[in-house]
Amino acid sequence: MLEVKGKMIAKGARVGMETTWELAKILVPTAMVVTVFKASGLLDVITDFFAPYMGLFGLSGQAAIVLFSGYLVNLYAAAGSIVALSLPLREIAILAGMLTFCHSLLVELPISKKAGGSLRYIFLIRLGGSLIIGMVLGWMLP
Amino acid sequence: MSVLWEGLLQGLKAVWTVARVVIPLMIALEIAQANGLLQRLNRILARPFQKIGLSEEGAFPVVVAMVFGLTFGSGVIINHVREGKVTEREVKIMGSFIAIAHALIEDTIIFLTLGAPLLVLLVPRLAAAYGVAYLLHKFGTRLPLPQGDSFHSLD
Repeated sequence: MLEVKGKMIAKGARVGMETTWELAKILVPTAMVVTVFKASGLLDVITDFFAPYMGLFGLSGQAAIVLFSGYLVNLYAAAGSIVALSLPLREIAILAGMLTFCHSLLVELPISKKAGGSLRYIFLIRLGGSLIIGMVLGWMLP
Repeated sequence: MSVLWEGLLQGLKAVWTVARVVIPLMIALEIAQANGLLQRLNRILARPFQKIGLSEEGAFPVVVAMVFGLTFGSGVIINHVREGKVTEREVKIMGSFIAIAHALIEDTIIFLTLGAPLLVLLVPRLAAAYGVAYLLHKFGTRLPLPQGDSFHSLD
């Protein structure tokens, strides 16, 4: 029933390779930025700076490391920090809500820009959404 | 130097991960399209997306992004732009929607396993993505939005 021709496979493969190339131009430089960022110790500096403000979201100061690992590196880094800190379930729920909105920014913002978004607006919407949901959850969750 | 080298390797690994999914995905799409399957699927998917100004063609990258992730959705958008299937306005709406709501399966599972409630993980994200897309659709032409890359960098 489904008609498959060599021509379709050839065209699909060509389109796939072209798309991969477009994405590779973003993925390789951003991966290098993230690796340098992780090795530089900058994450610790940022975390220490923001720890006193975590109370805004009903979080303990140490949760800052989870938030910024997620914002800047990725959700797996954030999940790793959650496990390492053995945070209470309430804080995990707040952090999860905040991080689903806004994560992996060093990688995802350039990709979004490539796919038609405007960098500034997307950054503001994602970070703003994350902070708002954090405050709402911090206030709502017992 | 070794840090940069590790970064390069990480990047190439990411490219390989993407290639392994995107190339078969594009072949499958091509076959589906040639057989008229995509058009039928699009018609079903399109309804909730019409309200945010997306055509049948425009709804598809959003669905790909929600299931497979931002990178793959963006790949489909890039391809749609190249083939002239979507308008510039649609690209802006799609791009903003998927920037907020993507990889809903993977992202949700990561936090579900850590004990976060499903409601917190999905509802605010989808509502915000839909809301932002709706505002862009309604008022987008009147907002002084800075340009993204898509229409200029792909030539």
